[in-house]
Amino acid sequence: MADAQWGMVVDMDKCTGCQACVVACQSENNVPINEEAHFNQRRAIEWIRVERYWEGEFPDVKARFIPLFCQQCGDAPCEPVCPVYATYHNSEGLNVQVYNRCIGTRFCANNCPYQVRFFNFWEPAWPETLKNQLNPDVTVRSRGIMEKCTFCVQRIRRSSREADKEGAELQDGDRALNPACVNACPTEALMFGDLNNPESKVAKKAEKELRESNPVRKGGRGYHLLDEFGTHPKVVYLKKVDEEFEAHG
Amino acid sequence: MALTRRQFLTLAGGSAAGAILFQACGVPEDELLVQAPVEMPEDLVTGRDNWYATLCRQCPTSEGIVVRVMEGRAKKVEGNVDYPINQGKHSARCEAGLQALYHPDRIRGPLVRVGERGANRFREISWEDAISRLSFQLQNISDQGRQSSVVLATDPIGAHLGMVVERFVSAYGARHMTYEPLERTTLRTAMRQVFAQDAIPDLDIANAATVLSFGADFLNTWVSPVRYGRGYGAFRDTENERGTLIHVDSRFSMSGANADKWVYVNPGMEGILALSIAQVIIADGLADADAAAALTANLDINAYAPETVASRTGVSADKIRAIAHDFAEHQPALAFGGGSAAAHTNGLFNLAAIYSLNYLVGSVNSEGGIIFNPAPPIDGIPVAKSNTAFSEWHRLADEMSRGEVQMIMVRGADPVYGLPDAVNFENAAYDVPFIVSFSDVMDDTTAIADLVLPQHNYLEDWDSDIPDPAPGYQTLGFQQPVVRPFHEPRGENLGTRGFADVLLTVAQGLDLELDLPGETYREILQDGARQLYESGGGSVRAASFNAFWNGVLQRGGWWDTSARSNSAAPTPPPLLDAAEPAFSAGEFHLMPFESTGIGDGKGAALPWMQATPDPLSTAVWRTWVEINHRVAEERGISEGDVIRIESQYGRIEALAFPSPAVPPNTVCVPVGQGHASGGRYAERRGANLYSILSPNIDLNTGALAWASTKVNIEKTGEWIRLPKFENTVTEFPRDEHQHVIKLTALGGGDEH
Amino acid sequence: MQEHIQLTQKEVNRDLLEGVLGLPKWWLGATSFLVLVILIGLAAYAYEVNKGIGVAGLGRPVLWGAYITNFVFWIGISHAGIMISAILRLTQAEWRRPVTRAAEVMTIFSLIAALSNIMFHVGRPWRLFWVYPYDFSRGIFMNVRSPFVWDPSAVMTYLIGSSLFVFVALIPDLAVVRDRATGKYAPRIYSILCLGWRGTPRQWRLQAIAGILLSALVLPVFVSVHSIVSWDFAIAIGVEGWHSTIFAPYFIIGAIHSGVSAVAMIMALVVWLWKMDNYLRPDHFDAIGRLLIIVATTWFFFFFVEWIFALYTLEPPEIKLRELQVFENPYWWLFLIFLLTSFFIPVPMWLFKNVRRSPMLMFLTTVLVNIGMWLERFLIIIPGLARRTPLTFDWGSYHPSIIEILIVAETFAFVALGMLIFAKFFPLIPLFDVKEGMVFRDTIKIGRRIVPASIRETP
Ligand SMILES: Nc1nc2c(c(=O)[nH]1)N[C@H]1C(S)=C(S)[C@@H](COP(=O)(O)OP(=O)(O)OC[C@H]3O[C@@H](n4cnc5c(=O)[nH]c(N)nc54)[C@H](O)[C@@H]3O)O[C@H]1N2
Ligand SMILES: Nc1nc2c(c(=O)[nH]1)N[C@H]1C(S)=C(S)[C@@H](COP(=O)(O)OP(=O)(O)OC[C@H]3O[C@@H](n4cnc5c(=O)[nH]c(N)nc54)[C@H](O)[C@@H]3O)O[C@H]1N2
Ligand code: SF4
Ligand code: SF4
Ligand code: SF4
Ligand code: SF4
Ligand code: SF4
Repeated sequence: MADAQWGMVVDMDKCTGCQACVVACQSENNVPINEEAHFNQRRAIEWIRVERYWEGEFPDVKARFIPLFCQQCGDAPCEPVCPVYATYHNSEGLNVQVYNRCIGTRFCANNCPYQVRFFNFWEPAWPETLKNQLNPDVTVRSRGIMEKCTFCVQRIRRSSREADKEGAELQDGDRALNPACVNACPTEALMFGDLNNPESKVAKKAEKELRESNPVRKGGRGYHLLDEFGTHPKVVYLKKVDEEFEAHG
Repeated sequence: MALTRRQFLTLAGGSAAGAILFQACGVPEDELLVQAPVEMPEDLVTGRDNWYATLCRQCPTSEGIVVRVMEGRAKKVEGNVDYPINQGKHSARCEAGLQALYHPDRIRGPLVRVGERGANRFREISWEDAISRLSFQLQNISDQGRQSSVVLATDPIGAHLGMVVERFVSAYGARHMTYEPLERTTLRTAMRQVFAQDAIPDLDIANAATVLSFGADFLNTWVSPVRYGRGYGAFRDTENERGTLIHVDSRFSMSGANADKWVYVNPGMEGILALSIAQVIIADGLADADAAAALTANLDINAYAPETVASRTGVSADKIRAIAHDFAEHQPALAFGGGSAAAHTNGLFNLAAIYSLNYLVGSVNSEGGIIFNPAPPIDGIPVAKSNTAFSEWHRLADEMSRGEVQMIMVRGADPVYGLPDAVNFENAAYDVPFIVSFSDVMDDTTAIADLVLPQHNYLEDWDSDIPDPAPGYQTLGFQQPVVRPFHEPRGENLGTRGFADVLLTVAQGLDLELDLPGETYREILQDGARQLYESGGGSVRAASFNAFWNGVLQRGGWWDTSARSNSAAPTPPPLLDAAEPAFSAGEFHLMPFESTGIGDGKGAALPWMQATPDPLSTAVWRTWVEINHRVAEERGISEGDVIRIESQYGRIEALAFPSPAVPPNTVCVPVGQGHASGGRYAERRGANLYSILSPNIDLNTGALAWASTKVNIEKTGEWIRLPKFENTVTEFPRDEHQHVIKLTALGGGDEH
Repeated sequence: MQEHIQLTQKEVNRDLLEGVLGLPKWWLGATSFLVLVILIGLAAYAYEVNKGIGVAGLGRPVLWGAYITNFVFWIGISHAGIMISAILRLTQAEWRRPVTRAAEVMTIFSLIAALSNIMFHVGRPWRLFWVYPYDFSRGIFMNVRSPFVWDPSAVMTYLIGSSLFVFVALIPDLAVVRDRATGKYAPRIYSILCLGWRGTPRQWRLQAIAGILLSALVLPVFVSVHSIVSWDFAIAIGVEGWHSTIFAPYFIIGAIHSGVSAVAMIMALVVWLWKMDNYLRPDHFDAIGRLLIIVATTWFFFFFVEWIFALYTLEPPEIKLRELQVFENPYWWLFLIFLLTSFFIPVPMWLFKNVRRSPMLMFLTTVLVNIGMWLERFLIIIPGLARRTPLTFDWGSYHPSIIEILIVAETFAFVALGMLIFAKFFPLIPLFDVKEGMVFRDTIKIGRRIVPASIRETP
């Protein structure tokens, strides 16, 4: 079988904005502690963030949540501009970040329409004891380096190695393979899998929801974020179902 | 001339080069190493990892988690897929257990106060010494026959620890009081009153077609957020029928944000609104006749017709009708309430009225509705209960100041921080001769303690838990140490110890007869497991007890999906007439709320929690006040203005966050900041909202009516940037009518 | 058209070598001041290297700031040299002669200044050399699709080219200095530098050929350099307001605008500082003033067209961006200053002959132009990055930090110091070129055009 093409489906009708994914990612990927100053300097790092958008105002107000992370673009604008190949595309459709190569031009981040690339302006610092928690599978980045969501590539690697040893196939939805944010998400708003495998849940869901033919708002909710940029993201968003259009189906 | 010039130039050049060189040496040397430009840890084998099942104790819910352990260190927390409550999912707070375990300011051994009380000066002593000091004091007091003047204050604890504590206090004759800043006493009382249930029932959100929630931020922090979140996910599943969520709340909470309809209700009027909804359901013949009859036995429901209550509740008659019909016509329909709805002087009435709605649509103890929970699987193993209402704490404070309390022991509770200033607890505490804390990080109570016996972090300790609410069937979670105690290397006599084992040791010293089935807490747990093993049912079947024990630990607990509550839906107790809420004096309603990260204050010590953006304001690290953006405009308040919030009982300062979602008559402030001590991340940041709450109580349950405070606000003139993740947007995008516009551009899907 | 002041070759040598053989009183004061500014700037940079690029005012989403602005600015200035020397030489504009060297030298120093900005900008400058294919053992090549790989090659080529250009033109004068230099070492050094120039016809011929060849060869580089710099922005599809096909010519003409203005400034300074009013006559200023009118107007046309292109799309983000540039604080007043200083004040003034002929007024107006052109780059780079995209959640802004300001100041001091030191050791006005000009001075009138009477030197 051809290489996997890792992808995600994000159901904005399910996302409650609970931030579980955010902290799960911080923990899994050794993301530096965001101190108060970092927020004020607009340098806080969240590989996955939950953006909140107001709609209307009191009393007819709504807030929409959209989890945003690297879309692993098929035509990633961040890649061609990197002078040192610190960010490039691998055979599994992932936009890979090689921290050791990065010289910190921040060109890639300018060219990312989704603004999901984060720059280490300072040397990340953990109190000695907190270092015990760092994930040995993930590089601890130094300052002057760009970083971003990797689809938890270390989990994909580890699972693939295990699978190779047992001569088995990777299992769709295997929790050791799933990214940390996906495992955390209580509402299962995040779905991860191999888009190349027609049997995978993501592939099915994406296919169904992207089908334009379905005029009813149930189903056919899928779209690619900002796809007018022609980035061909690997992430499919399912838009919020709005009761005003659709009370009880 | 020429000479000096040349000298000058060389000098200049030299010093410049020198500066660079010197500074460059200041660069962390790891950056000067040339690392492999192609290989990364992500690509390399870094050894084996193990995932151990245990329980999360970051919040009272206590869900099943698995912890990734490598080289003796805990690396990652994830939900336990097997565990019935959360089925593999978890919350933001859960992850931060690691930071509690490896907290840089963890107390590393027993401490005894040396300085003045409150001077926060302690000396490290050995466990031997510490325990003998505690035993000595207890002995003294019992010699004077004043055992009842000893108070053991804990968070609500159940299961085996609950048993140990109960045996201990009863054997010694002390008092056990539980403490939660935002207590659930009223909720439990309501469950007893409306459903005759001791345990909080499960809410079958997943299978409901309509969910009508009142005041409970159930998707964020209320009772069992992860379980409810999981249910909500299924409830929203468009593959089957997508449910409708109507959220009635005086604050636009995260749950409100996710509701299909958020309905603003005047604070304290939730119950009256519920009665009005009932009236519509009954009058329009949508109700179960018997239930309607029983409920309305002693009140005239028609007195609550929408038109009559519309103005009081602040919800228009049409809206009330619409809600009632949505609710009754799309079954299964589930109604529940809590949070601010329960935190009024008429809280019990509100909840009774709200939960009674379930009878009208036949949702009691049936799929898609309220699911009763069975009794605990083992006799004598209680469900965690908050047995102490705020009013009793108030009374205790008075006793303390009268010198009637000889000793207070606190575990998992920080009353000095959490009780409103009006109670005057801290001052009273100075009149208590001996205070013992079992906390393993400093907190405001521990700071004035005489003796500190730091307990293990839950990832280092044994325990068990009966989830409350349980998932509808018997469940007993087991907590095992996933790593050796972090401070173990400091030796037998230093470091931390398990709370239960300390109690057992002390009991031994005082030779109290606890007749517990074991010398150590582990043995006691094992005995519990043995009883389960002998009962023969449940999720773990094994040939030998050892195999069973390992099975239980591997799966994180034991549960029996067939062991459900056998109590049928009782006949609905008659509804009571409306009780009006009472408020302290002030211009704005004050709506306290728990933000996702730091919750009721426990999370404040953990950097990840401090840095977790609040879902609505995305604010972090400080205390902010959400205020209606138009009111803010009128008063010239803009984001970051320091606002003085003043109630009859005190004042705090918070940073303004104008928001289009806040009711004009309300300000919303998160609790949980403003710790005097609590480690480097919590100390002296933000303000403690609890301190200014009015001591109003629910007249029936004595619970703190924490939503019944009103406040005045004013600008101090100071400005501090409000740390938040959302970048500063100069203005909400407005349409020509100056209304905040819908950012449909984001929806993207609109074009699809 | 040129005014005639007959000077003997002796007088020319005396005047033009005065700065080299003697030492103007103000020289030491000026240099030490500049060195001070540079030291402060370098200290600021040392601090940045030590603490991390965090000391700059950058953050999400504005990740490029003063340094990149300054980089583009200095690249722009660097276009003066070739513009004046090469183009004017090939087009045989007589008035260029006294100006060429100053312009070329400025090119070299501003290029170095530009390159230094990249070092200031990146997060890990000690790895900057990775943009070159220096080490195949790493098993990776740099990414030739990235403008940040094009930049260094283009700029370095330009730097080498224009250095040669300067040197070739310098050889005969070095010989003159060699003959007059006194002291122990100076004569030896100059004699090495002038490659044994004796002024034989063959040497003159070779030197002339080299000059003309280099002019022709450097021209394409001159065009490519700023095109490539513009592509740092133009190829970025992710940034509203950058992704524009007109950028390359727009940037080049902008560069010429600021560059030629800078030359006019230098001319004024040379007149005042080295008393060269015998060589830089009002009509030199007049000529460069005329040239500036053309350049400025062409530039403004491109600027105008770029806006039309942008507005014509009527895409919300594009419109929002333009609103930001023109209406929102602080950009609106920066934009106003930019428009006035780069076009609406100087160009109308240049229309008046007595303005063009006054060194003082030309100096002031061209200073204005360069303030404006620095702001132009700033207003292209920053508002675009402020991301007025549908993701309003991430809208942001930027204020340069004190560190950035100090370092930017350092680059200006560096270029100035470079010029001063050069002027101390080499004649800033080319002797042979001026003399050559005198030789060709006799002119005849054909119709309304005036041309040299004698035939050009040709190989
Ligand atoms: N900076 C630094 N230098 C050190 C040390 C340090 O701690 N820090 N430690 C020192 C010590 S204690 C040691 S033992 C040495 C170890 O230094 P090395 O002997 O170099 O050990 P590695 O670099 O781990 O592995 C060498 C190569 O073996 C390859 N390899 C892995 N498995 C196999 C295999 O099965 N067959 C073959 N043929 N190749 C394989 C790896 O991919 C790697 O490229 O380093 C010493 N040098
Ligand atoms: N993932 C991975 N694991 C490996 C290896 C690998 O390649 N990859 N290599 C393996 C090999 S070959 C080896 S040799 C081991 C090495 O593994 P370790 O023996 O752990 O080697 P270090 O971690 O370099 O040193 C251990 C500690 O010794 C401290 N130390 C340094 N100097 C002194 C001293 O003078 N006195 C004392 N008391 N302490 C000192 C250091 O600060 C460090 O904390 O790692 C093995 N483990
Ligand atoms: S989302 Fe951004 S960072 Fe990720 S691949 Fe696309 S352009 Fe690159
Ligand atoms: S910041 Fe790093 S990854 Fe991004 S373009 Fe520059 S070198 Fe490449
Ligand atoms: S996929 Fe992994 S890296 Fe990406 S956001 Fe989720 S947890 Fe973080
Ligand atoms: S965890 Fe899931 S529901 Fe919570 S914010 Fe992330 S995506 Fe949304
Ligand atoms: S809600 Fe979160 S913190 Fe509380 S028990 Fe569950 S996982 Fe742990």
